[in-house]
Amino acid sequence: MRDETVLGRDTAHAIALTGISKMYGLVTALHPTDLSVDKGEFLTLLGPSGSGKTTLLNLIAGAIGPTTGTIFLDGRDITQMPPRDRGIGMVFQNYALMPHMTVFDNVAYPLRARRQPASTIRAKVTEALERVGLRGFEDRKPRQLSGGQQQRVGIARCIVYSPAIIMMDEPLGALDKNLREQLQSEIKRLHKELGTTIIYVTHDQEEALNMSDRICLMSAGQITQLGTPDELYFQPRNRFVAEFIGESNLISGRTNGNGQLMIAGNRSIPVPAGGWTDGAELLVMVRPERVQICDMDEPVKEGSNVLSGEIGTTSFVGGMTRVTVQTENGLNMTARMVSGRAESRPQAGARVRVCWSSSDMVVLET
Amino acid sequence: MNRISIIRAQAIFMSPAVLAATLLILPPLLYVFYTSVYGPALSLAAYGQVLTSKLFRQTLTTTLVVAGLSSLLSLLLGFVVALHLARQPARRRAFLTVLVLLPFWTSVLVKCFAFTVILGREGIINSMLSWIFGIKIQLPLVLNMVGLLVGMTNFLIPLVVLPVLASLLAIDSAIYRAAAIMGAKPARIFWTVTLPMSLPGLLAGLLSIFVMSLGAFIVPSLLGGPQDQMLSSLVAFYNREVLDWQKASAISVVLLGMVFIFAAPLALWRRRKLKA
Repeated sequence: MRDETVLGRDTAHAIALTGISKMYGLVTALHPTDLSVDKGEFLTLLGPSGSGKTTLLNLIAGAIGPTTGTIFLDGRDITQMPPRDRGIGMVFQNYALMPHMTVFDNVAYPLRARRQPASTIRAKVTEALERVGLRGFEDRKPRQLSGGQQQRVGIARCIVYSPAIIMMDEPLGALDKNLREQLQSEIKRLHKELGTTIIYVTHDQEEALNMSDRICLMSAGQITQLGTPDELYFQPRNRFVAEFIGESNLISGRTNGNGQLMIAGNRSIPVPAGGWTDGAELLVMVRPERVQICDMDEPVKEGSNVLSGEIGTTSFVGGMTRVTVQTENGLNMTARMVSGRAESRPQAGARVRVCWSSSDMVVLET
Repeated sequence: MNRISIIRAQAIFMSPAVLAATLLILPPLLYVFYTSVYGPALSLAAYGQVLTSKLFRQTLTTTLVVAGLSSLLSLLLGFVVALHLARQPARRRAFLTVLVLLPFWTSVLVKCFAFTVILGREGIINSMLSWIFGIKIQLPLVLNMVGLLVGMTNFLIPLVVLPVLASLLAIDSAIYRAAAIMGAKPARIFWTVTLPMSLPGLLAGLLSIFVMSLGAFIVPSLLGGPQDQMLSSLVAFYNREVLDWQKASAISVVLLGMVFIFAAPLALWRRRKLKA
């Protein structure tokens, strides 16, 4: 028998979930899940809507109770504890500021709920507003602030009482791109300065890659893969991960006895490392930026896979240009290259070869 | 749509209501006003007599006290009902709201007679108390201030529940969750979030039921005692008993003036809210 209690009780983890699940009637919002978050870690819950990430967040916050399982906060069982006693902080997507209160009163709210003396409150609120760059805005009402400023108040209101864990529920979802990037780096800076554990929810994969120590990718109420951004990007476990994070070329084939993988159009490429049995069906992924486009007469590097074909579309999206190639054996390959001027970019219909190194291929679980 | 066509559309859609209101309400009102100043000759004498009469001033005081007390009571009780409704899931809330509205759709007359049965000397409440304590109890619950306030409050509660419920439902539920997660207990959440954020709705509700109760006639006539009559009853008294139409009209005009004074801030507040 697995000793769940001991598993959660160690205090090395800021939070530990053991066998936690949530059912609504017959609908499973979250399958039994184990997850532990280290102290000071920035963990992102990433996934499409309905994947269970918000359910997981609400379970930790105490907004909903789990159907099964236990939640440990710093080694204490908090499964039955009401939200107000958990001492967790939360930043909301739509800010959830008190519209009738000034910025100062909003940030002071958690301190007043803890009945701290006025002088302490003044000092802490001032410091928190300083940290988010909102000194001098104390007397404004939330509606007199921009969206970015309002979310800064939301963050100040959270860090002001130094909660052990701060949860952020798509905090930048309502902001435009530039502001979002600016606040991303501010949140990263605050995380570094304060050393708080942050659990961050987003459906934006770039945000997740940029900010996280670890990403917990969820789909259909389960954790699909948990790992560093690097692992999720370069070592995706399965097709869902590969397609959700970044773009990917998927090639399916069957191994033959000679170390070759038979792919579409009776072509063969070397089988990626890993002791595959003969006749095994494999799904292989190559990231578009690892795929190169070469002219027909250009020499190719040793150990490269080469397929010839015709350029389908070219889309110029700023720094990168995305090129699709219809290969002769019937594959649709996408390559991503650093943009040059229009004259030097591949033209649709041109005959080219696509090549990629065998070491850039990742075998996915099917 | 440009500005002019919007104005034209507004004119077309609003004209039937405006026309009906103008033709059906304004002439009688003007006639009441005319009657109040035209006795044997044109004069404000009736107003002078009314405003100096002891009966009028007593009735005016009663009117303000009854309207004020019953409005406050209704607001208090209606707020509790609205708070409960706001916490229910939508379907349950719809069902419960119908229950709140049911007495509102019932004729005031029927409700008043029901209350005489419930509150009377031999009524349900007194009979129950007598049975419980084993002695004959005949508390005076009707034809006095108690009966009047019960009747008025019963009449007004549905009118306060709906606007207050609307303002409670307008509060983003994330604010409650935020307050709870920041460590606030339910009582603090009520005083710092629920109450201040529903205050505009509460004030609007209070003012509108107060204005409405100023002109109450049926409830005080049936459930109040002779001492608890309100201005409308005084109008009826001068109109039907004394046959002094001039004084009756003067009192009506004064009552109308009072309604205007209390309704004006409400109208201003609504306009400000529409602009915001």
